[in-house]
Amino acid sequence: MPPEPTIDVAELVKHYRASDGTVIRAVNGVSLSVDAGEMVGLLGANGAGKTTTLRMLATLLEPTAGTARVAGCDIRHDPVGVRRRLGYVSATTGVADRLSAREIFTSFGRLHGIPAETLPHRVETLLAQLDLEGCADRPAGRLSSGQRQRISLGRALVHAPPALVLDEPTNALDVIGARDLLELLGRLRGEGHAILLSTHRLHEIENRCDRFVIIHGGRVVAAGTRDSLVAEWIPNGEGELEDAFFAAIRSRTAIPETLP
Amino acid sequence: MNPSGRPSSLVAALAIARRDLLEFVRDRRTLVITLLLPMATYPILALATALGLRTATQEIEARTAPAPIHLGLSGPEAPQFAALVQRTLATTPRSEQAGWPADVALADVSAADAESLLDRGAIDVWIITRPGLVAELRSKGTVHIPVRVSARRPASVALREQFLAFVRTLGGDVARDRVAAAGLPTTLLEPIDVVFEGDPEAGPPPLEHNVVSTLAGGVLVLLTVLTLTGAFYPAIDAIAGEKERGTIETLLIAPCRISDIVFGKFLGVLAITLATLVANVVSIAATAAVAVRYLPQGVVAALPDGALAVAVIATVLAFCGMAAVAAATCLAVTTASKSGKEAQNTLTPVILLVSAVAGSALLPGVHAGPLLAAVPFAGQVFVARSALGTGAEQPADGITVATAVAVSLLSSVAVTWLLLQLTALTLADEDVLFRGPDVAGAPLHRPARRQRPNAVQALLPLVAGFAGLWYTQGVVPADLRWAIPVQQVLAVLAPLAVVAWWQRVDMCETFALCWPETGGGVRAANLTGIVVGAILLGGGLFLLGAAVLLGVQDGATSAETRQLSSRLVALIQARPRWLAWVLIALVPAVCEELLFRGWVLSGLHGRLQLPRGAWAAVGIQAAAFALFHLLPERMPQTFVLGLVLGALVVVTRSLLPAVVCHLAHNSMPVAILALAGDVPGLAGAVEAGDSSAEMLPNWIVFAAAGAAAAGICLVAIGVRPWKRHREHLL
Repeated sequence: MPPEPTIDVAELVKHYRASDGTVIRAVNGVSLSVDAGEMVGLLGANGAGKTTTLRMLATLLEPTAGTARVAGCDIRHDPVGVRRRLGYVSATTGVADRLSAREIFTSFGRLHGIPAETLPHRVETLLAQLDLEGCADRPAGRLSSGQRQRISLGRALVHAPPALVLDEPTNALDVIGARDLLELLGRLRGEGHAILLSTHRLHEIENRCDRFVIIHGGRVVAAGTRDSLVAEWIPNGEGELEDAFFAAIRSRTAIPETLP
Repeated sequence: MNPSGRPSSLVAALAIARRDLLEFVRDRRTLVITLLLPMATYPILALATALGLRTATQEIEARTAPAPIHLGLSGPEAPQFAALVQRTLATTPRSEQAGWPADVALADVSAADAESLLDRGAIDVWIITRPGLVAELRSKGTVHIPVRVSARRPASVALREQFLAFVRTLGGDVARDRVAAAGLPTTLLEPIDVVFEGDPEAGPPPLEHNVVSTLAGGVLVLLTVLTLTGAFYPAIDAIAGEKERGTIETLLIAPCRISDIVFGKFLGVLAITLATLVANVVSIAATAAVAVRYLPQGVVAALPDGALAVAVIATVLAFCGMAAVAAATCLAVTTASKSGKEAQNTLTPVILLVSAVAGSALLPGVHAGPLLAAVPFAGQVFVARSALGTGAEQPADGITVATAVAVSLLSSVAVTWLLLQLTALTLADEDVLFRGPDVAGAPLHRPARRQRPNAVQALLPLVAGFAGLWYTQGVVPADLRWAIPVQQVLAVLAPLAVVAWWQRVDMCETFALCWPETGGGVRAANLTGIVVGAILLGGGLFLLGAAVLLGVQDGATSAETRQLSSRLVALIQARPRWLAWVLIALVPAVCEELLFRGWVLSGLHGRLQLPRGAWAAVGIQAAAFALFHLLPERMPQTFVLGLVLGALVVVTRSLLPAVVCHLAHNSMPVAILALAGDVPGLAGAVEAGDSSAEMLPNWIVFAAAGAAAAGICLVAIGVRPWKRHREHLL
């Protein structure tokens, strides 16, 4: 029997009710999985349902139907267990400007119930791992975007979760910052973390992720490795991931679906 | 990569509080508001007040203090008149010179120089003595003496009063001369002589005005405002600020409950609020110690003996409770906001409103009682003011200060708990957490076309309607033939039309302008059954409501209700009868149904979600409908009617049955009076309160109950809700 994936999403559905009473189907039956030591890219245009899917995984939103498991914990029945096993960096995640990296890691370590005697060591390890030792005690508001994003990642890693979910983590970063961050994520994958990250900057992750899941209109329209996607969606079997992505999403109608 | 543990609720809350506090104290705004503002406000205010009082008192004293007066005398009998004045000055004892000038200086002046002397201030008054003046004083009744003052440099009021006081004494001396000349004893003019026995030296205690009670109210309200201000920025920063910075999600995915997060946030805000309170109290105490030195003479600020400790303890306890309520209020209000700016916009009017509530402590005749002590913000001010004014031994409206403090603290705990629950609910609301920026609420922002209004928009015409109802009271004509349509248009239709047009809603969807949804069978028969059922229900409800009203109050209705009833009866009895029916039944049935069961119910129904939300919406609109009728004793009846009408719309998904039911309800009085014929003097009897339960025989009440039940059955058979899926029903 194969081991259970660290992140296992099964037919997740999320409907919103707009203020005028209409129902918006933001996510409409998304399934995917991420194994330990694997990095999966969740690809989709704006409004495709990436963020909603990841927010449901992070227990910030309650699914309308379907479920997901993170390291064996069900997001519906054991949300606190999921939070203990998941590190989440959202697209809008910022850091407290007036606190330093050390203070942020320490406060979230306390929130995750890390014992006081081991917490300083854990914080030091994280600072070293994320190359933040030189600015560990400066207010985060005075740091660069790349350093702030690394603090955000460190905050998500402070409780050493087996699963890591990142929503467009390179959005606010320049080329160098984005490459540094992705290299860091690669190292974390090597340490055994299951990483699911969403992005629409395909060229950045084309050669870094093990697999890709393309969603459009709240549904999974394609999934697989880079090569398998190119082979499936480009007629002559040659091209970039971006070409396969466009071909896959053009096969579906506009999003999101609405119901009266 | 072992999963971390789960902290206890207290550990999680303390971790959040610690993190927030660290952020707060590094925010310059917080420090300025918390420490600098109170430290600067009280000294400046107190010293300005004390110095202002002192200066004002000194000015008043300077103006009213005895001053020397210069009398200019001219004319042929100036020397004789001067002799009279000198005699009075010489013979009047010091003790009888109260109100006199400090000195009276006499000068003989010529008529040519007198005007210029007056204008130069060399003399204050100029008395012209005519020939025979002194002789007149000795014999004539009342002698008129012209006294001139300068038009350019008029003598002060105080100087004139002092001059008149001297002249009264002078007149007394002249009167004694007259009595003596008549051979009578001068004691005739002094019929009573009062002698103080006992200690003749002991005078009355010096007149003092204790300003503690007066100042306490103002200081306590200021303390309330500054306590709220202490909670203002931390609360905004705690949740709305976290949303703006994008850090709130990081907290929400921590392995703890929402209530732990909210409690942690509360502890952080409370700590800052208490620090503000302490800074305020210290500043008040230090300022008071200094400011009392600057109080003018005769003004003191002192507590009753032994009351200081009690007053301080009661005030501190009550205001600690207030700090908790303030922190929880600010958190609850700002949790729904997406950004700091939005939170400020929301919180500022709340702060003003709360300050006004606290300010009610300054109203004359308001004293702390058990009920008032429990009112948030006002209660604490009442309690503290009571303690400062009376001390522990003296009861305040029947309760001791200790009881009032206990009531206030218990109330604070309960209110704080409720507000924190509300905050947790709001924080967990997905719509609130992830909605977009607040552009839809911008003034003059016309939204995109939509099916139905949302909850806020649902309440807009209600607010405008209530305002219209209130303001039209003063302008609508007394004649009901004009008053009813004017009020219905101004308070109901006009606001509704403007808001509905502006919000670009789907009129048919919003106002349920469609035929009722029937369930199976012959549609025409079902529709007929629903309409007949609505008529029976409306008519039955009117009679049942009237029976309950008459039975409960047994004729003891208020003057307003009796007056309105008598005017309605007069309107119905006046010809033409159809006009009365249109005004009393048709117009309100259509207008009020469009507003309450159309717009309001539709907006609330859509926002509050299904299925329980529909019934909550029915309840809310029914309450608004009851309030709209203004007369408190009629509110239970109109509330029940509103519930029934709302339920009809929800069940039939059409406004038509509700309009028919309302129409039948309001048509009943017209029909009854039409059937009864003209009863002479009925309007007068109604106005005089000559009504009782006997006016409605039991058989009518039973028939009304039967009609209402039959109406419900007919509607139910027509709709057959049990055949619908639950979600579709609601």
